[in-house]
Amino acid sequence: MIAFENVRFRALAVPSLVLPAGLTTLIGPNGAGKSTFLKLCAGIAEPEKGTVTIDGQSPRKTEVGYVNEFPDRNLLFSTVHDELASPLRFRHTPCAETVREVRACAERWGIAALLEREVKDLSGGEKCLVALATACITRPRVLVLDEYDSHLDAGRCAVAERVLRSSGADYIVRCTQQMETAANSDRLLFLEKGRVVHFGEPTAVFANLTATPFYPLSWRCRS
Amino acid sequence: MKLVLDSVALARPHWSLAAGGTFGPGIHLVSGDVGSGKSTLALLMAGLSVPDRGTVTREGIGQAILSFQFPEFHITGLTVADECRSWNLEPETVLASAGVELPAKRPVLSLSRGELKRLHLACILARECDLLLLDEPFSSLDCPGKEWAAHLIGRRRSGITVVFTHEQSIFPHTDHIWEIRNGVLADCGDLPGALRTWEHAPALLRRLIAEGKIPADLTQESLMEAACRTQE
Repeated sequence: MIAFENVRFRALAVPSLVLPAGLTTLIGPNGAGKSTFLKLCAGIAEPEKGTVTIDGQSPRKTEVGYVNEFPDRNLLFSTVHDELASPLRFRHTPCAETVREVRACAERWGIAALLEREVKDLSGGEKCLVALATACITRPRVLVLDEYDSHLDAGRCAVAERVLRSSGADYIVRCTQQMETAANSDRLLFLEKGRVVHFGEPTAVFANLTATPFYPLSWRCRS
Repeated sequence: MKLVLDSVALARPHWSLAAGGTFGPGIHLVSGDVGSGKSTLALLMAGLSVPDRGTVTREGIGQAILSFQFPEFHITGLTVADECRSWNLEPETVLASAGVELPAKRPVLSLSRGELKRLHLACILARECDLLLLDEPFSSLDCPGKEWAAHLIGRRRSGITVVFTHEQSIFPHTDHIWEIRNGVLADCGDLPGALRTWEHAPALLRRLIAEGKIPADLTQESLMEAACRTQE
């Protein structure tokens, strides 16, 4: 489990919270603290007070794949191939295995045609897909994904949903502003002004949001 | 007032784009898959990029504004107030219209991406222009922010507005739909007829159409009205 205990970091305050294994999606207004929460889960930031642990360990001692909400901040290398290969190369994976893994990962994410492209020439959505694939390529136990879908079309969102679900990660923590995507999670966490306001299964959380724009349009139309 | 794409073509080693058509006053929606060329088309229409073949002609268009899909590309000021002034706008006026609390002295780079997007759109939508090109205006915005942006965009009753988006739930009032299919810009036509041929229509809309419930527009109200119809 991912456990928050008496956590304070900037405007975020989480007295006590346990995220079980599975797919947890953060939703809430812009500026609510979602990205800050995700950075704490990924170990990119450490709380000023309190603790965040993943199965009892510091996130910094856990294998985490992370995607930043700013697509360009994810990309370090010139070509898509080198970007995907980088997590494998950093751990000294043999070259032949790296090439094989990069190809397989690119196929899974539907970006094999991009492998020889320079990242600077990619579209916004393509950059997001490359960042996602790179975060997943070493099959980390934890995936922390900050609004990776803000530049993806519906078809690519569906691919991402399928690949993430079959990624083998014990914990996927993400945030999105697509409520139809959020509805497909094991649990939702609604953050507002740095506080956890609702946490639970999607039906339970959305039941508190029926009068807000966060309620999925398809749910509104079906009822 | 119109913008004409006459046999426009652009070819790169990995993809190509061909576009023809006339964009008149009103609100146009352009959809397409990731990497299909929406942003490239926006650059061409803004005059920031030149096609390999064909011409982009503006008639009766004075000022044009292009909003890039990445709001971080627009930052020119250090603070929220500086950013507003860089658009020649009074910070108080812009921030009052932004619909969220953004302290004027806050460093722009400390904003969340959604807050940055809202500030950027508040500046752009406060400006008058004949041609407004919005590349992914809804990305990174929260749901209330998307409704806010859709309302402001839909309120534009003069000039040409082109919205390039893959948004699936929240849309402005829309007059005309285009989409990029296999590298070619296709004209789906005016609403509501365009909805029948729009291949990138959101799942909810496709469901409504399959049930014979054609919304008059893409606004939330129109979609809800269609969904709630009991008889055709």
